[in-house]
Amino acid sequence: MSEPLVLELEVKPLDFLAAGETATQFKETLKSLGLPPEICRRAAIVVYEAEMNIVIHGGGGVMRLQVEEDKVTIMAEDEGPGIEDLELAMQEGYSSAPDFIREMGFGAGMGLPNIKRNANELYIDTAPGKGTKLRAVIYLNKGR
Amino acid sequence: MKVKEICEKLGLDVHVQGDLDKEVHQGVVGDLLSFIMRTAPEGAVWVTIQNHVNVAAVAVLKDIPFIVLASEREPLQELIDSCRKENITLTSSKQDAFNLCGRLYELGIKD
Repeated sequence: MSEPLVLELEVKPLDFLAAGETATQFKETLKSLGLPPEICRRAAIVVYEAEMNIVIHGGGGVMRLQVEEDKVTIMAEDEGPGIEDLELAMQEGYSSAPDFIREMGFGAGMGLPNIKRNANELYIDTAPGKGTKLRAVIYLNKGR
Repeated sequence: MKVKEICEKLGLDVHVQGDLDKEVHQGVVGDLLSFIMRTAPEGAVWVTIQNHVNVAAVAVLKDIPFIVLASEREPLQELIDSCRKENITLTSSKQDAFNLCGRLYELGIKD
């Protein structure tokens, strides 16, 4: 694989029926490339949680999957309200999701922590009113 | 134990037949999707009261072949469609999650 494979999908805001589709599609792509199941699963969790964040909080956005010889990079970008206190948002159990979303089983405050656990590297660029850019890297030859 | 044996022994209503001959040895219970994303073992049966389409998405991503909706929760049509597409067995029961898990444990689903 000389050139990286890049897949880009749009994520619509508050579209719970479609939510999970990006993650499912990305996982299929990774599987069809013959990547190890463990890597596919970890990437799928990262994509799903990032996708749900865009659906619930971000007001829609774009997700990008980049596959290179030694790593998988997942990028999620939205122009939503941004994260006010990133340290707090990284804490397990903290959530700013509204009640109707929690009743559906979202908003457990485990999204960003789940991403961090499954990625080898995680970068988040965000500020109130400026949207959020997330980049997670999973190396193929490294464990969690 | 095979999915179909569990369906019979627990008297589950089967909404979608996935791979009924699939062997299941582990289970997971919960309604928080991120919690299931973190803790579900691959190939497990999942007991939940969430009945919307994202249940299928989580099941696909975690390689869960078998879903049991507890406490008389009926699956929404989108969930049925999605499970059919993804070959996931979707069932429901009048029993609550506590009792369903107890019955599963008795059947040897212990992890």
